[in-house]
Amino acid sequence: MATPLQRDVFIDTIFEAAQSDRDVLFLSADLGAKALDRFRAELPDQFIHPGICEQNMIDVAAGLARSGKKVITYAMASFITARCYEQIKCALAAMNQPVTVVSVGVGLGYDNAGPTHYTTEDLACLRALPGVEVWSPGDAEATQELARLCLDRPALRYVRLERPALEPLYHGTFSTVRDTGLAEIAHGDRVCILSSGYLLHRALDVRDLLRPEGIDLGVIDLFRLKPLDTKQLANTLRHYKKIITLEEQCLDGGFGSAVLEALNDSQLHRPLLRLGLPNRFFFENGGRSHVLEKCGLNPATIALSIREFIAGQQLAQPTQTGNTLITNPARAAATPDAH
Amino acid sequence: MIMPRDPSKDGTSLNSQGTPTPHTEGLAKLQDRSAWLRRTLFDMVMRSRKGHIPSSFSCAETLLTLFYGGVLRYAHGAPNHPHRDRLIVSKGHAAMALYPILADIGYVPEEELENFTRKESLLRMYADPGIPGIDSITGSLGHGLGVAAGYALASRQDGRDQRAFAVLGDSECYEGSVWESALFGAHHGLDNLVTIVDRNGLAIMGQTEELLALDSLEEKFRAFGWHALSVDGHSYTALQSAFGQLGNTDGKPLAIIAQTVKGKGISFMENRSEWHNRMPDDEQEARARQDLQTNCITN
Repeated sequence: MATPLQRDVFIDTIFEAAQSDRDVLFLSADLGAKALDRFRAELPDQFIHPGICEQNMIDVAAGLARSGKKVITYAMASFITARCYEQIKCALAAMNQPVTVVSVGVGLGYDNAGPTHYTTEDLACLRALPGVEVWSPGDAEATQELARLCLDRPALRYVRLERPALEPLYHGTFSTVRDTGLAEIAHGDRVCILSSGYLLHRALDVRDLLRPEGIDLGVIDLFRLKPLDTKQLANTLRHYKKIITLEEQCLDGGFGSAVLEALNDSQLHRPLLRLGLPNRFFFENGGRSHVLEKCGLNPATIALSIREFIAGQQLAQPTQTGNTLITNPARAAATPDAH
Repeated sequence: MIMPRDPSKDGTSLNSQGTPTPHTEGLAKLQDRSAWLRRTLFDMVMRSRKGHIPSSFSCAETLLTLFYGGVLRYAHGAPNHPHRDRLIVSKGHAAMALYPILADIGYVPEEELENFTRKESLLRMYADPGIPGIDSITGSLGHGLGVAAGYALASRQDGRDQRAFAVLGDSECYEGSVWESALFGAHHGLDNLVTIVDRNGLAIMGQTEELLALDSLEEKFRAFGWHALSVDGHSYTALQSAFGQLGNTDGKPLAIIAQTVKGKGISFMENRSEWHNRMPDDEQEARARQDLQTNCITN
């Protein structure tokens, strides 16, 4: 059986609960899913298409939640975050409304779509809002457990789902780590890497690449970035001498920043290498893998960066700011401001 | 200044479904309310040197009609009554106009009016649900109609006879989210959703028709599928007649475009955009108090 998509797993779990609980409502701003087809057909009164109106969807969700409804809002990642950020801030966060905000296709998930559809700043944006939980499940099992949490313990939760299916990681164990927000899925020696979602799987590939060289890379799934259990994180990281973070976000204020802040607050001082995207927009064709490779985030280059980091050398990590990585001459000619 | 309490309204009556019945006062009493609300608000602003007088005064009769003119279902002293109607003053800078009313109906202690915006006090310049009787945070424009639509939809799904009211500023209708909400309310046939647009014609920087024309909001809401009408927003009889159409809108949400005067009741503030959040000096304060001696509402 093919690995299920995170969105189908999430929606099916909500659907099962919604069948016996009329207060469960699902709002989708024009993003479908196979599982959503069934939801719409069988529970039409509990499915609402608010139009491609993310702002109003969030405001309506606040009114519904304040009336006692269990509300799931759902849309493409880019549009359910930046487009309606102010609604999430005012109507949900400032009023402490237990609404689930599900975004699909985080990071560079919408292959080839470019800056309008990439979501390379949502971690920095959403974690800045008081009272918002931020979750990035790494496989179908974690996604299902998270959906259950959203039903059993409603809270303002930002749930980041990947577009492609992610291979199983937890094999029945996620429920034991869910509430800690992180899991050391591979124990290592001296050096470890933290990531989540799509790139977490790449981190595991890097571990395999480095092992024959005698580098035993620990891999930690930090699937709940907020609230971040700093004590648990510090305890997990304490026996490592060097730490790497890996994210599909512009580095400013994102995943690695959150880890650095937590370590600083815990007075756990370790050299930390943040791997991620430079602070620019990504116009180039070639798909997710191509952009990641260009930014030094393919497994071989990540492995190289880690070797250099371990050796204490200067890093090869791209640090460009602005749209300076435009390599197609025709595009460069059309956008003189980019230089 | 506290409106003399009417003992008959303590112990709100409930109908057989447990829904509170609206409170209705006669025209003369309502006119007194107009004077009372303006003077109380003016005192609050002069004491704290904070707040928005003209925007509050333009929607005064709208709010007073809702609470005392037989429209809103609420229970005296019970801000969390499960069957109360919901009300959002979405033009949040005028939400302070609710505070004297909320004190009068026993939602907030009356002494809090004197503490308006004071350090760590209850009543803020903009409102939020931490204040009893406030159903949504406001201050950022363009949210209230959507939240009200959520209330209205939940009420209908639960088979409750609750209505949701959102008071919008006309300049608030520049926000695109208002029109997203307008589409939503009409599509779902939310005939328990009401918006009152305070059409005072002014934004902070001038007249709406000169800045960016809003033109006919009545026609716009009608085109969006609402039952829409324009009324004199300072006339109780006109407002009551407009609210009387609730329940008779052919399944459509109701949009009342209340034609109003920003700053209504203080002559030198009326229709003057520069007074949006300006504070009167001593001489202006005296003139304003003199103006407020005369009741500006006649019908």
